[in-house]
Amino acid sequence: MSLSFRLDGVRLGYGHGAVLDGIDLDVAPGELLAVVGSSGSGKSTLLRALAGLLQPYQGKILADGEEVRGTSPDRAMIFQEDGLLPWRTVRRNVELPLRIRRKPLDVSAWIERVGLAGREDRLPRELSGGQRQRVQLARALVGGPRAVLMDEPFGALDAQTRADMQRLLLDVLRDTAATVVFVTHDVDEALLLGDRVAVLGRGGIKTVLTSATRERILEEL
Amino acid sequence: MSSMSSWARRILALLAAAGTWQLLTATDAVLWLRFDRLPTLGEIAAELLQQVTTPIYYLDLLQSVIRILTGFALAAAAGITVGILIARSPKASDLLTPLLEAVRPIPAIALVPIAILLFPQDEQGIVFITCAAAFFPIMVSTRHAVRALPTLWEDAVRTMGGGRLHVLRNVILPGALPGVFGGLSVGMGVAWICVISAEMISGDFGVGYRTWHAYTIVDYPAVIVGMITIGALGWLASAAIELTGRRTTRWLPRAEGSSA
Ligand SMILES: Nc1ncnc2c1ncn2[C@@H]1O[C@H](COP(=O)(O)OP(=O)(O)O)[C@@H](O)[C@H]1O
Ligand SMILES: [Mg+2]
Repeated sequence: MSLSFRLDGVRLGYGHGAVLDGIDLDVAPGELLAVVGSSGSGKSTLLRALAGLLQPYQGKILADGEEVRGTSPDRAMIFQEDGLLPWRTVRRNVELPLRIRRKPLDVSAWIERVGLAGREDRLPRELSGGQRQRVQLARALVGGPRAVLMDEPFGALDAQTRADMQRLLLDVLRDTAATVVFVTHDVDEALLLGDRVAVLGRGGIKTVLTSATRERILEEL
Repeated sequence: MSSMSSWARRILALLAAAGTWQLLTATDAVLWLRFDRLPTLGEIAAELLQQVTTPIYYLDLLQSVIRILTGFALAAAAGITVGILIARSPKASDLLTPLLEAVRPIPAIALVPIAILLFPQDEQGIVFITCAAAFFPIMVSTRHAVRALPTLWEDAVRTMGGGRLHVLRNVILPGALPGVFGGLSVGMGVAWICVISAEMISGDFGVGYRTWHAYTIVDYPAVIVGMITIGALGWLASAAIELTGRRTTRWLPRAEGSSA
């Protein structure tokens, strides 16, 4: 069920020059790859390419051996902030991926799973930052995606809430077989969550560490 | 805070204005401005009470309302569609923008001669002018609102497997709605101005026609009653849009406790 990714000499950018170049990367099915890099290093760019929102200038991005040419509900995405549609309630946000695919709107279990039972009818602006990310988590997982791409999902949260969310994420992921690419600028978060840690430096991936340590990552950054 | 005294002040100001009017008209004051030909409050009230018992008053009302609703509905449909098209498609923008920008500076009321020549009946001409007036503010604010939408929401819908229609329905339309309502509000204002002006120029019915007609037959209390009717209808139309807008955009962040 879980998806594998392979990037082969990938060059990414926005029309003027490349943001990332020569990216070679393998993501194994079911693994949680943490990608750590400083602000502006191209983490979101890489993730958008994996999602199919951005086409590479050069090279290939393969998902299960097939070239990624556009978005797919197989590859769900979670954004840092404000990824929820502010005019939809919690329930209707979580329902949206199912609605789009004309599937039955069974969302209660997921809303409960992320701890938001009883808050189904709230609007995003009536939730805390942590609660909003819980909704995004439910919305990403409700359709049973084979990969989840997470773009600094906890980057705007306070330390305590962030720790709660990290625990929730690991807990929830245990029930799903999804491959996860988790982008963060926080070395400790990458170490805590990642099965492996890819370090993104100026222009490309510096290294992918199987047993990363804080010192090794800081050395590469 | 001191809402009682605030209300008292407001009512006092209105009473003072009415009192001044009464004083000037009852004494037939001729300062530099001449009040001797203007009706007193009593004359206006009598005229109003008389008019609201006649069917013609309501026929005029109905006629103006039908005109403005038709013109405004057409303008809203066209303005929102064109605004979205231009904001989302560079090709559509290239095709439409020069033409629209060339026509936009012309006040809709200046289209009256064209409207008379173009349409077989005055009726259609008046609706056309109303529509032309309301179209531009609606189109411009829709275009602006759509362009200002963050790409994040669109990305979110696309990563759910949503296509262009899903993006349109789930992101563009709801996301642009607050801006669109700003345009609808302005559009209704100018549409109302234009329908009254157009009726004064060419028309056999309607509040604008009736008001101008009253002036030509030297029935000044009826002129004032016409003005009051026009003002009341305009206020009602704006309030209706304002209310609908607020109801459909409840999700917007609002300052705590603000109501107005
Ligand atoms: N839509 C865009 N258009 C042009 N340049 C962009 C765009 N998005 C990001 N960039 C540029 O690409 C680089 C990497 O951005 P990003 O991937 O967002 O970094 P990160 O997520 O690691 O902070 C930055 O220099 C940024 O200015
Ligand atoms: Mg980023």
